[in-house]
Amino acid sequence: MSSVNPSASALRDFDATTGRWGRLTMVAGLLLALAGPAYLVFFSGLQVDQAKIWTAFLAIAGTFGVLWLVEPLTYYPILGQASMYQAFMIGNISNKLLPSAVIAQSAIGAKPGTRRGELAAVMAISGAAVVHLISLLIFVGFLGSWLVSVVPAEIVAVVHAYILPSVLGAVLVQAVVSQWELRMTVIAGVVAAAVVFVLVPAMPALAFFGTAIAVVSTAVLAWLLRDKRPTTVAAEPTPAPTHEKEPARD
Amino acid sequence: MKLSTAVDGASTDILAAAGLPVLWLCALGVFAVISIQTVMYIRAARAAAPAAGMTPADLKTSFRAGAISAIGPSLAVALVAVALLTVFGTPAVLVRIGLIGSVAFETGAASIAAGTMGADLGGPTYTQSVFAVAFMAMSLGGGMWMLATLILTPLLKRGDLNVRRVNPAVMTVIPGAALLGAFFALGFGELPKSGTHVVAFLASAAAMAVGLGIAKVLKRRWIREWSLGFAILVALVAAYLTVNAGLFPTA
Repeated sequence: MSSVNPSASALRDFDATTGRWGRLTMVAGLLLALAGPAYLVFFSGLQVDQAKIWTAFLAIAGTFGVLWLVEPLTYYPILGQASMYQAFMIGNISNKLLPSAVIAQSAIGAKPGTRRGELAAVMAISGAAVVHLISLLIFVGFLGSWLVSVVPAEIVAVVHAYILPSVLGAVLVQAVVSQWELRMTVIAGVVAAAVVFVLVPAMPALAFFGTAIAVVSTAVLAWLLRDKRPTTVAAEPTPAPTHEKEPARD
Repeated sequence: MKLSTAVDGASTDILAAAGLPVLWLCALGVFAVISIQTVMYIRAARAAAPAAGMTPADLKTSFRAGAISAIGPSLAVALVAVALLTVFGTPAVLVRIGLIGSVAFETGAASIAAGTMGADLGGPTYTQSVFAVAFMAMSLGGGMWMLATLILTPLLKRGDLNVRRVNPAVMTVIPGAALLGAFFALGFGELPKSGTHVVAFLASAAAMAVGLGIAKVLKRRWIREWSLGFAILVALVAAYLTVNAGLFPTA
């Protein structure tokens, strides 16, 4: 018997190949995604004050920074190395990629966490990626751009002016339902109302970071007031959080 | 055609700046990168299949199952993306909403960014300069997810990071609270702007609640997927009717 197990080495090759190409393509995707706005800011002739970018970035970091770290940690046990690089570039992880992977695994009778399951997930996410790229190009790239050009200016003006509340109302309901946690929802609602309707009108200088202040206060209060009953001190080590909570990036 | 004068920081003609050819090239570049990744992954999976006990038919079935189950969600995402085209332009919507980012995070980030400049997305203060800063800031914010993935994945793969040792409450309470705090504050922040904003916000929230409720009762996942796009349309129609009825002074 040779000391090299051919299937083990084939699977090592798979890890090496998907790791290398995954990282390479993700770095390329990251740079291209930044190149567009960077061009607009630095080379298009717009006189943009760079300090404004950093202020805006800080306000965003204060609001979403914790999710940057937590979401990759949460998804890794479900996705595995190869699909991590797919998922965080293609997006829509919890509402599209995870269901695709699960359906594919059950279609061929593969268990998650096994090598068969991992390969089924990679193939399923690849299939989902192909469909998603094509549908975006056709329905948004071509039809969408055309639609915007023929819709009466009056309607475009309404969409333009009121799209934000129209998105955020539904997104808030989605966030509440996905967490489904009364105590945390009440804390977040009260804190946000206090910040938006009391604190910011009283001290307009804080308006820039109003959302970040609400986020940090909510997180601290939710932590201090959390339900501390047994589940967390069970003798059995509690498994890493899985997908029952849907993270924001969907 | 007046492409030569398209870029003007004080202009509110966002689409002139947001549709620049360079932005289209970058957006198509992201499409190309994902295509290349997909091809390389499929080749790697084919090579490893026998060792994992997978037949060529298994590979094909998995690919097809993934593709078919993605049709509904992809079209739902496309609908939401189209609604945002006039605010961010096609290239930014394709990359930020359609691919790397998500509707919730990207519109939230853009709104926060505009807020730090004392401007409102879509309002009369939403100039090309504000768009450029918001686009850059939301792209940097979205890039942090990718950066975290690039750094954490190899560590997790080697087993250097053991997430299981972290108190599980940290991993659920803190991000959950951050998410709720962010979207409550962003949503409430829309309310003082005008009566029509209140109408749009409430219509959107109510339509979403109805959509999710129906999906739960009928146990139909596709209804849940389409609820966001449906809620946005309902809210925009409500806003349109409110504006035309002259219920509130113009925003």
